[in-house]
Parts: sequence; C-alpha cells; structure tokens
Amino acid sequence: MSAELPTVVCVDGDDETRNATVEALETAGFEVRPCETVATVGTAMDDSVGCVVTTATLPDGDGFDVVELVRDRYPDCACVFFTGELPADLPRGGRDQVVEYVPRSVPGAHDRLVEVVTAAATGATQAAYPLPEDERERLAALAEYDVDELSALDTFERLTSLITSHFDIDVAFVGLVDAHEERFVACEGANWRTLSREDTVCTHTILTDDVMVVENVQEDPRFAAVDRLDELDIRSYAGARITDDDGNALGAVCCIHGEPRSYTRAERDDLRRFADEVEEQLALRRRLGTGGA
Amino acid sequence: MRHGTRYEFPDLPLNSVDAGTNLLLTGPTLEGARELLLRLLLGDDGVLIVTADTSARKVLAAFEDVGGRIDRERVRVVSCTQEHDDDLGEFVSSVGSPGDLTGIGIEYSGQYEQVYARGYDTVRTGIYTLTPLLVYSEDVRPVFRFVNTVTSRIRTADGLGVCAIDPSAHDEQVVTSIAQPFDARVDVREVEGTIELRVTGLPEQPDEWTAVPALE
Repeated sequence: MSAELPTVVCVDGDDETRNATVEALETAGFEVRPCETVATVGTAMDDSVGCVVTTATLPDGDGFDVVELVRDRYPDCACVFFTGELPADLPRGGRDQVVEYVPRSVPGAHDRLVEVVTAAATGATQAAYPLPEDERERLAALAEYDVDELSALDTFERLTSLITSHFDIDVAFVGLVDAHEERFVACEGANWRTLSREDTVCTHTILTDDVMVVENVQEDPRFAAVDRLDELDIRSYAGARITDDDGNALGAVCCIHGEPRSYTRAERDDLRRFADEVEEQLALRRRLGTGGA
Repeated sequence: MRHGTRYEFPDLPLNSVDAGTNLLLTGPTLEGARELLLRLLLGDDGVLIVTADTSARKVLAAFEDVGGRIDRERVRVVSCTQEHDDDLGEFVSSVGSPGDLTGIGIEYSGQYEQVYARGYDTVRTGIYTLTPLLVYSEDVRPVFRFVNTVTSRIRTADGLGVCAIDPSAHDEQVVTSIAQPFDARVDVREVEGTIELRVTGLPEQPDEWTAVPALE
C-alpha cells in the first residue's frame, strides 16, 4: 500500500460486487478490508482506516447502520455510499449521518468511486466541526511534540493548579488538538484525558487569535447541543490559543467552570500570559529536543 | 480538464477564480442576493442548485430571468422545500425538509454524478440558502459536516461553489465558523435598488463596495 493512503473498509454482502469494488480500490493503491455484514465492520475498524465504503442494503442492516457504528468510535471517518440504488430508494439516514454517495449506475462508476475515496483520503473532510485553513501544516507541527512525554511534565500540572486558584474556577487544562481529538497534557480539577474533537470548544479556539470566552455554554448555539459538555459539567469556558514559533495552533490553555461566568479584560490578559508561559515551555522542549517525537 | 481551469463571471465586477473555489455569499435574504448567486452560476458548465427556501420551479424561472439556459443535460436542482416539483422529473430531486441534511447531501452527490457522467467535469454549485439548514438544526455540528462534505467535493472535483447565508439570522460566531471552509466571503447588499458586492479572502477582487450592473 502507498504510505500516503489510508486503509479502506469495503462493506457489501454480495460477493461479486464487493470483489469488484475491492479490486478497483486495491488497483488504485489502497489497502482494503472487505466486510460482508454490519456486524463485521467493528472488528475491521482501527486508527489506520480513513474511509468506509458501504452499499445501502446489507444482510443484517443497512449502510446507515454501518455509518452509525463507524462514527460512534471514529466520528471523523469519511463514509461513502456506493450502491446501485437511487437516492430516493435508499434507507433514511439520521440527520447527522451526512455521507458521500456514488451511484453504481453511472458510467465508470469504479473510477468515480476511486476519485471520491482518494479525495476523502487526501484532504477532503466530513468532520462535524470547522477546520483551520492550514490544518495539514498544523498537524505536522503538532507531530513534532511527544504528547505522552509532555503529559508527564510537572511544569504544566503546576501551571494548571495555579490557574484554578488564580481564577477561582473548577478546572484548568492544557489541551493539544490533534487530528481527531483533544488530548489533555495537564488537567487540574478533573481527570480528563481525551475528548472527541467535535465535542470540544478548543476546536473553535484554535481558529481565533484572541482569548475565546463562552460565558454560558448552554446559550451558545455552537455548543448548546453538545451533550458531552453537559456531562462534564462544562458551563463556562475561556481559552487562549497556544502556537509554535511559526504560528501553528497547537491547542489551548483553558478555564472551565460549572456555572456561567464572565471574564474581565484583565482576566483575559492574565490567561493570555499563562498561555504564553506554556508556549515558552513547548518551544524550550523543542529546542532541547526533549519534546520531539 | 481540469488543471488550470478558472471560472469566469461575465457581466459581474469579479475577476475569474481558480477551479475548486468555494464562495460564501452573505447578505439579507432579498432578491438581490438570490439574483447575484444565480448570476455567479452562469456559463457553459454543469449547474447544480440546492434550493431551501423556494420551489425548484421558481428557482429555475429565476435562473432563466438572469440569462441562464435550462438544459436538462447539465442543470439540476435539489429542492428541500415543502413544495411539490415531482412533475419536473429526474431533473429535480426533492428532499422535503431543510433539516434532512443527509438526504440533501446524497441527492446533491447523485445529481453531481449524473451531470459529471454527461461529460461536464466543471460544475457550478449554488446553495440558496444555508440559513434554513441552520434554522432547522438544533445542533450545528451536522451542518458543519454537511458544509465540509459539499465544499470538499467541490474543491477536489475542481468545481465552483457559491453558498448563501443571511448573517443577521444567526449568531455571529456561527457564521464565522460556517465560513471556515470557504475560500472567500462575498458580502452583498442592496442600496436604493442597486446590488453591491465586496469580497474578502481572495486577491484581485473588489474589497470595497462595488455596484453590480443591472441586468439588461
């Protein structure tokens, strides 16, 4: 398989059509894992899978069952319907099950499928959140750091502890936003390790160069329907973006409180200074070579 | 095709843009914004229109009014309104609700493939407007997924995308986030009956309010 291409899971209960689809994708350079049923998709999925191609009707369910199963564990995974059924004849999907669709009836359907899957694998996205323009460069910059090593550092733990007492808030954290989730390298006041990116506020914070404040999460239309934030008792949020020397956004230093809360200009400036401290520490790790992967 | 292709906008005060460009058209839901969106779709390319606030029949009539040629080989419509356009045949897909983002996405892809299969490898997409899609959605995340999916298809297929939104109908932060996958923002307003536009995000385009010549 090509080093640049992710693995594709191909789901089709019909041996003949599945084999033809697998062959087309393999010829294009993809490693393909064939599945005959919805039930077998779970075991075929892992972090290497970048796209799932499914037919609409399967022996034990339909293509949207596949989408639900896949996105429950891998919310950002691209899903493509490749089927002989017309759109009007497809099963009804949930409103959050937006997928790509290539009808098997068009001329050169396998070529079109390969084009759509290749696009999905090389920069197209079905993510349920906004992405920075320079996402690829940003992720490459983030990959320069060893997140596990950073998580073991006392420096950030001391800093987040100081932030909670300074602002009199419930939780403070340093979070790095990777391709699919936010990873908390330090977290005071809660035991959070990771959060799916579509459930994070920081995914929006890395898009802005100012301190981002959400005084009441439940009143902000971007976050009011995110159940995970409610489950974690995140009612108010303030976050300052952290960047590397080249301006790539790596994550954010954040204040969380279980009640709605505003932040004065002075408090926002203080949070910015805490974030500056984290940036300096990260730059130092890079220079010393101890934060490098 | 397609490398090196640019999309041109005759009779509009805009320079051509690269294939794969997505434009967010922001302005109040007035006839002026719809007219400008439809004029951005004029050309010999394939045309896909997703209409969320008026029937396919009315949108097609408006497209003809701005000089569009209704050629069923290359012009297709996805209607997400309650209006019945079934008699227009496969030329129009009906989804039934702006809230059915999954259905809209599949119908859009299906129509795109039909136009593409007829030899149109440059396709202009117009979505008028994103506002009902957002209004019908309690959770903004599926709308992000929809917008990312559609703009990604347009970008990777060397198409042109023009999506309209009424910024006054939404929280400013939502509009800013929705704008993220677009290459540029085209603001539109009407001043004493004249449509004006300005562009942010693309070089060599008017960044001050510029009058759009009226249709002859």
